Amino acid sequence: MNNQNISEKSGSSRRSLLTWFSGAALAGSAAISALANFVFMKPRATYGQPSRYSIGRPDDFPSGTRVSLDQRRVCVVREGSKLAVISTICTHLGCTVGVSDTGFACPCHGSRYDQDGNVVGGPAPKSLTWYQVSLAPNGDLEVDTNNAVSQGTYYNL
Amino acid sequence: MSNLPVQEPPAAPPSETGVPKPGLTTALLQFPRNLWDSIFRHPLPDSDLGAAQTSFSNFFLHIHPVKVHRNTLRPLYTLGLGVMSFVTFVVLTITGILLMFYYVPSTTQAYDRMLDLRGSVAFGTFLRNLHRWSAHAMVAIVFLHMCRVFLTGSYKRPREFNWLIGCVLLLLTLFASFTGYLLPWDQLAFWAITVGTSIAAYAPLIGKKIQFLLLGDQAVGQEALLRFYVLHVVVLPALITLLVAIHFWRIRKDGGLSRPAEADLPAGGQPLRVEIVSGPAAGKRTFGLMGFVRGPFTKTGNVPDNSVYAWPNLLVAELFVFVVTVAALLVVSLLFNAPLEEPVNVLHPPNPAKAPWYFLGLQELVSYSAFWGGVGVPGIEVALLMLVPYIDRKVSGVGKWFAKERFLANTLFITFALLNVIFIIIGTFFRGPNWAMVSPF
Repeated sequence: MNNQNISEKSGSSRRSLLTWFSGAALAGSAAISALANFVFMKPRATYGQPSRYSIGRPDDFPSGTRVSLDQRRVCVVREGSKLAVISTICTHLGCTVGVSDTGFACPCHGSRYDQDGNVVGGPAPKSLTWYQVSLAPNGDLEVDTNNAVSQGTYYNL
Repeated sequence: MSNLPVQEPPAAPPSETGVPKPGLTTALLQFPRNLWDSIFRHPLPDSDLGAAQTSFSNFFLHIHPVKVHRNTLRPLYTLGLGVMSFVTFVVLTITGILLMFYYVPSTTQAYDRMLDLRGSVAFGTFLRNLHRWSAHAMVAIVFLHMCRVFLTGSYKRPREFNWLIGCVLLLLTLFASFTGYLLPWDQLAFWAITVGTSIAAYAPLIGKKIQFLLLGDQAVGQEALLRFYVLHVVVLPALITLLVAIHFWRIRKDGGLSRPAEADLPAGGQPLRVEIVSGPAAGKRTFGLMGFVRGPFTKTGNVPDNSVYAWPNLLVAELFVFVVTVAALLVVSLLFNAPLEEPVNVLHPPNPAKAPWYFLGLQELVSYSAFWGGVGVPGIEVALLMLVPYIDRKVSGVGKWFAKERFLANTLFITFALLNVIFIIIGTFFRGPNWAMVSPF
């Protein structure tokens, strides 16, 4: 009787262990499948605007330039030999800000920025992004929108 | 097998004589009758048994219980809002499938297809109107349905989980409407989605990732259009259908629609006490109580006494709500055309750029504080809504509108609901260029 009890006990604990393992395996598989779906849904390559692109030769932007490249949604600023590219995507809700003499102004919700992209009014929560600029081997200026640089980081030509 | 008293049908050929076998002519003549009988097992019921059989032997009707409580059929109790929500969903499914035959989810073609719908497709304008207005109606009606359920205390035990499913259905309805908003690919669509997905990006930690996953790109473009299309026509309708099925099933499993405790008492208002004081049975024989007592505790299958047959009572009530809802949608769709603005111009956002109306309350809040308006406040609201049946455990005041016992809960709910409505009204009518306050008058 006692013996049988023991064997029942050990049998049930083996069974519960196996049940536990099977359950964990099933749950794990389900979790991995769910995760795989997210990985699948996250595009590795995008078909829209490239994140690195050329904006032309440095000579195209003489000193004192503040020009908005509408299609790229950036503003190119050049002062002397220093050049910077500032995003014109409003940090509030993604509208395109307009370039004005005093800085930038958003037509959607009235956010205003100074010439460096600092918020001076409206609901925008943070300043406009500055993008990394480099000189490609062929002499073109290349903007990398994946790489933000801290405000005031100019590229020295 | 041979024991069974089964009558063998008279053997067909070869016997030439004897009983006349049913000929082809007879079969043809009886065909309509036989076909009808093979489809509908019962004639239109004229007895209680027939009414019961009609409900449970018909595929489409067996979603109904055989009997429903009278309280369920009180128009002023439910206002028919649940059925109404479902009707708008059915209308949206049908019109949506029809529109799919002419729509292409491509940034170069989508807008042209909208013009085609308006210009060259038979009933195109009408179908688009019906789809658009039904979508707005569904958002509003599902919200009102939630208000009804809350204000009658119907989320309480044992209906907590069905309330939770309902909350998810409300969110799915909003999301389905939101994904559909982009598909015409006009200025309204593009900037509403740009603004809407930017609100999502304010969520802490995962906000930007959610936005990227939704858009499939850094900005609203072809990938976003395709993703929204697939979500809109397959993923979300399938999820809604599944959850609606569970929602309906649970209504019955949770004992039908909520009702006040008194409603389960017999007509007299008091539980019947069976005391045998006279007659041949008095003191002589023992009776099982089950045989006598009528009242809330002796029901078999949880069918209360104050109930009527679902056929035709419930069916007629549902048909009435169906007809009224469809008629209202048809009238609105014939009178008003769904808006279609200029094609998308990525360079020039309209001023002001507004999200769909049901998110304008959010956008209004976002204009005060990006995080709190877009994520914090709505997140807390949704979490509170979903958890309310697990926080408020008192069982009193169920089944009555504005029950006195539920004064605090109802007041809080109405305050939040009204605040949302007020913010939506401000965002819709009182915000002009640069989101400045303007008078709509």
